[in-house]
Amino acid sequence: MNAVEIKDLYKSYEDGKIKALNGINLTIRDGEFVSIIGPSGSGKSTLLNMLGALDVPDSGSISVAGRDLKSSKKLNEFRAESIGFIFQLHNLIPNISVVENIEIPMFTQKLSSKEMRSRALKLLDDVGLKDKADMLPNKLSGGERQRVAIARALANNPSIILADEPTGSLDSKTSSKILKQLIDLHEDKNVTLIIVTHDMDVAKLADRVIEVLDGEIISADEESLINSKIDV
Amino acid sequence: MSFLKFILKNPFRRRTSAILAIVGIAIGIVVIVALGGITDGLVNTFEDTIHAGGADFSISGKETGDSAYGTNTIDANWTEKIANVSGVEEAYPIYVVLTSVGDDYMNTLIGIDPEGANLADISMKEGRLFKDNESEAILGEIYVDDNDYKVGDTIKIDGEEFEIVGIYETGDQNMAGGVFTSISKVGELMDDEDSISNIYVKVKKGEDPQAVADRIDEKYGDDIATITSVMEMQQMGDMLNMLQASTWAISLLAIVVGGLGIINTMLMSVFERTREIGVLKAVGWSDRKILTMIVGESLVITIVSAIIGSVIGFLACTLLGPQMGISPLFTPKIFIQAFGIAIIVGIIGGLYPAIKAVKLPPTEALRYE
Repeated sequence: MNAVEIKDLYKSYEDGKIKALNGINLTIRDGEFVSIIGPSGSGKSTLLNMLGALDVPDSGSISVAGRDLKSSKKLNEFRAESIGFIFQLHNLIPNISVVENIEIPMFTQKLSSKEMRSRALKLLDDVGLKDKADMLPNKLSGGERQRVAIARALANNPSIILADEPTGSLDSKTSSKILKQLIDLHEDKNVTLIIVTHDMDVAKLADRVIEVLDGEIISADEESLINSKIDV
Repeated sequence: MSFLKFILKNPFRRRTSAILAIVGIAIGIVVIVALGGITDGLVNTFEDTIHAGGADFSISGKETGDSAYGTNTIDANWTEKIANVSGVEEAYPIYVVLTSVGDDYMNTLIGIDPEGANLADISMKEGRLFKDNESEAILGEIYVDDNDYKVGDTIKIDGEEFEIVGIYETGDQNMAGGVFTSISKVGELMDDEDSISNIYVKVKKGEDPQAVADRIDEKYGDDIATITSVMEMQQMGDMLNMLQASTWAISLLAIVVGGLGIINTMLMSVFERTREIGVLKAVGWSDRKILTMIVGESLVITIVSAIIGSVIGFLACTLLGPQMGISPLFTPKIFIQAFGIAIIVGIIGGLYPAIKAVKLPPTEALRYE
């Protein structure tokens, strides 16, 4: 089964003046690790937003985790059940503890406080931060915060993780650690991992690299990097 | 962590702003509670005065004014005239004088026939009622609290020794600080047995007190006045209405000022947390949940304000009121009104910022710097 099926997807802003997506066709298999690369303004973040049901297309069809996002209502429920987001900036809530931050997505599920806490602690254990569960996010290093963000993304056992420049604000050493953890979790839990990045070293770690330019996919296969037409 | 705990924690993230909002709304609540207590206290006192003890109404001289305890006098033979008016069951005179009582240079001494004492709406807390024409007195509970007397002691009234035979309680603050003895004894002390201050009137069963009062007014209205006369009632009613209207006006003002304050606080909060709201949307929170969170946070601020404001309003009135001669009365209605207003302000103040937050497109919210 495919995790993502997109056909002739178009999206423009400012009354059509800015064409963010210009006829995208893309298929991503279940459990695949894909990176999306492209220069600023190429449309890769818009594509990620479409995949995460944060934005709706003007035309075309988009199916993610078996759900037609164009005709679906209650997209928030879809996001809660199927998608885990990781952002460039961790975006943790500062006044609640690390473990409580991981519980935030679980408020959409019918779970008791006890179940939420036990699941959050297990996820913190998975990212190696169980001992920091009760600390406030500002007491953690940048890398640790991003690991908490990864744990939060996995809170509702999503089938797809969407990561927008997840290592963009980290140094290279921390970056490698985070990516390793992300890839390990992707393999262990068999989740589809889609990363948007500027960093070719990060992109190369994926099973497949999708290159986006001017709202179009210019290559989307395993060999793409060899023939890359764009300078990321 | 529960959703409720999350809502409870959020308003105090920006502590200074939350405290300022709480202070602003709490001031409004203090005013509502204090004014409510004072108004209800006055209503209570007026009602006691109008009611004139256990009597249906009282009669005073034309010039005495509103009070049932004025010290102006009328001739004692009015009692018989009033008792003969159709519909009157009982008419008992009282004689109120200001004279030296115990260590007080001047206090209220009320004389009444022991048989008519039930019309004065006093009940014995301790001891017994005084006997007619005996040097016996009963003291009001407030007087006893302020002066160290007990039943069996003697007290000097207008230079004469009286035995304290009882202590009485009453809802009327004027009477609770005074002393009662028989009317004949007061006349003797004043050397004036032909004068009285007021007459307590009880109407026959089935008679309308207002109709009987009107009858008296019609017959003797040129010389005496019934405290329940329509005009007096209207004057008191108008005054009470004015007080109650001003309480509501201040409540309304508190709603407007508090509402604006809370809207400002919550708008700032939503503005500063734009990206966070984007994250909540991204992780699947529904619009309703986000709306509940922000309105909930607003309610937390206003309910904390209501608690603080109610406590301060109650304490300030209870401690300072008696020193200013005001006896506030706090009924559950006042606190329900204060909390009701706080909840309305919380919902109104939180709703607009909450709607703004809900309408934020998640992609824009996440991009917000």
